[in-house]
Amino acid sequence: MFELSTNVASPQQLRRGDFSAYDALYLGEFSCLSYPNNFCAHPEFLADAVAQVHEMGKKAYLRLFAVPSNHDLPTVRNVIKTALGLPFDGFEVHNLGLLQMLKEMGNTKPIHLGVFGNLYTDATARVVKDYGVTRVYPNPELSLDEAIYIRDNTPIDVLIPVHGKIPLVVAETCFIHENSGGLPGEDCKFKCSQEHWLTRASGDWSLKDTGCMTLSGADLCMLEHVDKLAAAKLNAFYVQSHGESPDYIATVGRIYRDAFSRAFAGVAEGDVGPQLEQLAGLAKMGLCNGYYFGDAGRRYVGRA
Amino acid sequence: MSAPALLAPGGTLEMARVAVDEGADIVYVGPLGWSRRPYESEMTDEDIRAAIAYARENGRQVRVVLNTFPSPFEMDDFARKVELYAAWGASGFIVTDPGAIRLIRGLVPDTLIHVSIGSGVTNSWDAEFYREIGADVIILPYRWGEEEIAETRCVSGIGLEVFLFETVQTGKICPGKCIMSSYLKFREWLDIEGKATSGSANRGAKECYRVCQTNWEFSSEDDDPVKLKLRRDARLMLEQLPAFIELGVECFKISGRERPVPMIRDLVRFYRKALDGIAAGQTDMSVYVDELATLRERWTVEKRKRVNVLMDRADHYADAAPTLAVAQ
Repeated sequence: MFELSTNVASPQQLRRGDFSAYDALYLGEFSCLSYPNNFCAHPEFLADAVAQVHEMGKKAYLRLFAVPSNHDLPTVRNVIKTALGLPFDGFEVHNLGLLQMLKEMGNTKPIHLGVFGNLYTDATARVVKDYGVTRVYPNPELSLDEAIYIRDNTPIDVLIPVHGKIPLVVAETCFIHENSGGLPGEDCKFKCSQEHWLTRASGDWSLKDTGCMTLSGADLCMLEHVDKLAAAKLNAFYVQSHGESPDYIATVGRIYRDAFSRAFAGVAEGDVGPQLEQLAGLAKMGLCNGYYFGDAGRRYVGRA
Repeated sequence: MSAPALLAPGGTLEMARVAVDEGADIVYVGPLGWSRRPYESEMTDEDIRAAIAYARENGRQVRVVLNTFPSPFEMDDFARKVELYAAWGASGFIVTDPGAIRLIRGLVPDTLIHVSIGSGVTNSWDAEFYREIGADVIILPYRWGEEEIAETRCVSGIGLEVFLFETVQTGKICPGKCIMSSYLKFREWLDIEGKATSGSANRGAKECYRVCQTNWEFSSEDDDPVKLKLRRDARLMLEQLPAFIELGVECFKISGRERPVPMIRDLVRFYRKALDGIAAGQTDMSVYVDELATLRERWTVEKRKRVNVLMDRADHYADAAPTLAVAQ
């Protein structure tokens, strides 16, 4: 009926987390190969991980590193080679060169184009479809109407993020490492395990920084629009949870699982005030609706 | 080895003509709402036609920059623009969206397609992907040096283009992988030619507010906040040119459609001289050291001025409509 997914970076997070609300897990932290025990960089963890996810009755998609340099390609190739021999349900690719590599390596698994794949048009969706892409995560700047248009006119499956911080930037260098005295090439001290924020007081702007990635300060929240998403026959939804606590992942998942279950059963959504309050309590910098309704990403539109 | 081409910006018709006069082989120009620049650095169709005519009269070429990520609803307009400029004699296009690249190749089979920096290329396999879908030339990431250029040459047969500036290896340098500006500020535009756009510079809505180049406070749970910019200034490049040419770089690009015309005039003159010198056997670039230092200083000053203008717009954009566009 619908698929609710989220992301898990490492074996430790997979063991500790409560993912009962989710149907599928994207394994790996795509922005940083140095992230501790990242599935994107450690082929030795993949067999156990995919078995564990399947035992939970969920699909397991393997994320590939989003910004591989030439220097990183042997690592990525090694991960792909291992994964091709395992029962993953698909790959998530952000880098178009890796589409080329997967094709050359004879991949037949479904490919999902990730958020930094820069999917803006149905014309591009048709191009990547020729490389085996079956699902696309439209660039966050697109409105809901544009995402639906791409789905219908390609045609292709679209992944709709419904909650969590919006990925805004991915870079090839780590901002936290550089600004905590780290030198290029020096071992990472994993200071990204603490929260880092960028703020600009004069403009009332805030962003969350995870080192190689910058996320929105506010949490995207589509709880008030679940009926609309179901009515549009969208059916793949995603909670972005990088850097969030196990409690956040479990709570957000449960709220959306309930909401989508009701919506797909034809039950009116009703008052979601208490759940919205709970979600707002988990969001340090408030909630937003992203770009879905044709406004700046940080605005919260609500049902009005 | 054929001589590489010098690409120069045509932010205005005047700038395009000056670039041709100073020796640019190719001038690139962007139509209103389609080239990720503010209104004053893009051109009307009438001016683009005049720029193409002027370049052709002087034996030079014009590439039209259509490097926004269009809305899926805009693709018909995009196609009409491509056919229009090709019919006027534009020799090629600078494009970001893969679907748009394939579309152009179908519409104008013999045109030249450059992959824009906004495509976010990070490795040699990206280059091969773009070659396979129909592109002819790819602009290489700012950070790349000789090793990456050589490797890309091996992996892909695509033509190579390099910006004539270099950037330090730190900070958030992520062309094509950044939507910070539109997360923070959003604006709707209706150009005088009738193109309505809402959203970010990536999509044609004029201004990237260069939020990465202004001051932020960076804080963690344990440490005191520090004030910093998210990236550092790039600087003009010269020393690498002989080696890059030897490695097969076909195009060198001066950026700066937003800079003053005299700055572009002097840059085109300088790099024309340097490239001609290399073609004549000159490999010691130290002979240009004083001239380069002066240009670097001017470049940095002008860049900072520009960032201040854009950040001021971000703070006050509702105050007044610019002359060539109407804020909605």
